[in-house]
Amino acid sequence: MGDDGAGGLPLVIDDLSVVYGERRAVDHLSLTVHRGEIYGLLGSNGAGKSSTIKSIVGLVPPSTGRIRVFGLDVATDALRVKQRIGYVPEASMLYEALTPREFLEFVASVRGIPRLDASARTNAFGAAFRLESELDEPIASLSMGTRQKVLILGAFLHQPPLLVLDEPLHSLDPRSVRIMKDLLARYVTDGDRGVLFSTHTMEIAQQLCHRVGILDHGVLRAEGSLSDLRERAARGDASLEEVFLSLTREDEGLDAAVRALEGA
Amino acid sequence: MSWREARRISDVAFTEVCLQAIYAFRQGAAPLAGGLAGAARSARRRVVQSKILIAVVLGLVAAGGAGILADAPHIAQRAFFGVVVTVPVLQAGVLTGLLSLDVAFLWWTGLQVLPTFLASGVLATIEPLPIDDRTLGRVAGLLYLRLFDLPAIVVLVATPLFVGLVLGPTAGIVTIPGVVCAVVFALALALVTGRAFVRRVQGSRGGGGRTVVRWTYLVLWVLPAFAMFGFSVAAPGFLALLGRTLAAGPSVGRDVLLAMYPFTFAALAPLSTGGTASLTLDASGVAILFAAAAAYLLVAEWSVGWLMRSVRRVGLAPPVAPREMEVSVRDLVPHGPARAVLTKDLQIASRTPGYAFLVLFPVLDALAIGLFTFVTGPGSNGALALALAAVTTAALLATFFGPAFFAIEVNAYAYGRTLPLADRSLILGKVALVAAVYGVAAGLVLGITVLRVFQPAVFLAFIAAEFPAVVAASLLELALLFRRARKKGTPLVSLYAGAWYAIAVAIPGLILAGIPLIAFHLLAAAPVFSALLIMGLVALIELALAAPLALGLPGRRPA
Repeated sequence: MGDDGAGGLPLVIDDLSVVYGERRAVDHLSLTVHRGEIYGLLGSNGAGKSSTIKSIVGLVPPSTGRIRVFGLDVATDALRVKQRIGYVPEASMLYEALTPREFLEFVASVRGIPRLDASARTNAFGAAFRLESELDEPIASLSMGTRQKVLILGAFLHQPPLLVLDEPLHSLDPRSVRIMKDLLARYVTDGDRGVLFSTHTMEIAQQLCHRVGILDHGVLRAEGSLSDLRERAARGDASLEEVFLSLTREDEGLDAAVRALEGA
Repeated sequence: MSWREARRISDVAFTEVCLQAIYAFRQGAAPLAGGLAGAARSARRRVVQSKILIAVVLGLVAAGGAGILADAPHIAQRAFFGVVVTVPVLQAGVLTGLLSLDVAFLWWTGLQVLPTFLASGVLATIEPLPIDDRTLGRVAGLLYLRLFDLPAIVVLVATPLFVGLVLGPTAGIVTIPGVVCAVVFALALALVTGRAFVRRVQGSRGGGGRTVVRWTYLVLWVLPAFAMFGFSVAAPGFLALLGRTLAAGPSVGRDVLLAMYPFTFAALAPLSTGGTASLTLDASGVAILFAAAAAYLLVAEWSVGWLMRSVRRVGLAPPVAPREMEVSVRDLVPHGPARAVLTKDLQIASRTPGYAFLVLFPVLDALAIGLFTFVTGPGSNGALALALAAVTTAALLATFFGPAFFAIEVNAYAYGRTLPLADRSLILGKVALVAAVYGVAAGLVLGITVLRVFQPAVFLAFIAAEFPAVVAASLLELALLFRRARKKGTPLVSLYAGAWYAIAVAIPGLILAGIPLIAFHLLAAAPVFSALLIMGLVALIELALAAPLALGLPGRRPA
């Protein structure tokens, strides 16, 4: 993993807060994604992962704080930031009345991707994800998994230097999950790109991420590699799931909750 | 569970329909600062506002019809295509038109609303709940009825009321079965055709040939909206047909007419006030009329039951029928950003009847007026005046409907905002669409009337002089909508979800589009090319003022 100063880092979040009405979804969050790094953002439901990601891609304005992508400020240089990001949203938000091919054509147009490159990547991803027969079907008629593949294809279409992925493996079939994991691992090996990856699935984060940050009620409770977190949680050989539950104190009363459900 | 319980559940579910229609959270729209309870209230309020707007239009239609009925003795003195009709025949004709318009407007409203209803996914949400089948069916039926409630109530009340006020209480009362059938038939037609169109249009695959098929279907979809126009154009011919057929006495043609909805019910009001002699009906005619009325009421009753059973099935069916997948190899063809927005909007419109309507209505309206010009064959100057009127209408309609194209962004608006797409490109793409609609509509009129109008230079100059004003108007409208979107979130401007926004921003747009047209008419006494020159200059000045506001002055952020 390379690091050539703050100006060139794929992602620097500094003191970010996101507030909806009275609810504080993200609370003074600071984190950094380095070049060549896959950073996993872990947290329970409502921990603030999606709000953080939506702030990065310009969907939600931060209440406080600053976000920089390769040195560009999201607030003041939004278009250039968006050119550098490939984004897979949490929900399958697509133009339902378009076909995947029409949707990708629109994305390629807006991003200024040359015809040959756009077509080659579409064909390659289409073949890998077995999407070819569905590229001309309306998106409204596609399964959740297929929509997710279209979103992933849209995010990779311009080979962005920063991938921002909100639960990207959600609803994918096992073959596609395997392809994605291998692809992401190779994507950052050139040492220039970065990936921010949110997930609930601890096994995937454990396998894929160089570092993880644990969000809890909008606050970053811990950050580091798995061994760093084990050390911090004083759990020598624990899995990431155990470390996560321990650091967020969500393991408290766990057995009692299960027993209560058994008896319910 | 009881009807009361079904109504309670449908009330909750209806809030979800409104919420998804307005805020599109299922498309990833961000949560609102004010919280969901406020959003839900706001969504319901905006849907009610739109319903009120549709209901007002229907009320005005009923009032207009009553006005014609009141003036019937005066109107009946004229000959229609050489046929002088009696006052009762004229009354029956007007009521036929009124009931047809009621069916057409409600049907068309249903066609616009159904995709929103189905896309809300609300029936799929309540289906797994432990509610018995009968109640689920009732909830679905009640939800569907709620989409139409206010407009339908206006039809049910206003038409008999106005008819009663003009022709007397008995005539008002006998109009009630006709309007009941109108409402029921319109709702049933909306469900049957809406579902079919959703499957055939929204579920259509990509590709050039299929695009043509989709637009052909969409033209059929738009046709009910031309009921008013068709009624006013066809009314003299229809009255002549009525007068001739009824005066001729018993015949197959007369019997078919008597048995045909909505004439069957329209004839009841004059019969109630003037007796059988008023429509020169013999005993067999009266028998056919009442038998047909009874049959229609039975069909309406069956339709209500069918509606209550079918809404749930239709709402839960997959959007596309299962079929063999085809693999086609075709390169992506990227364009510039503004053209990409234009192409995307047309592709979306080709599978979304509500948007297709916005594209097709000005074009078909211009086509209809152009054809009328051609068929009626007035003199050269008259034809030119009509052709200019057609272009004027196209300009104003394109301007009026322009803001609604903004609503397309709500389909995945959130995703669109993550792309490096400048506001300028987005606005230019949408303005290009409005300009294209105007251009195609004006071009069609030109194509048709060039055969009759012998002043093509004047006609072309008129189209060109108005063009900058259409662009200026749509720039202004879209800039206002963008400003609103930036401040308060995305304003939806579909017929059902936020007609107020569309109308609010359309007013300054219509003023901009209208000023050069008014200037041209005020200069009617001047040489025509001088008037056109001034009209064009006015339009260019408007464009020069509107463009910087919408697209941003150098060094400033756009609106």
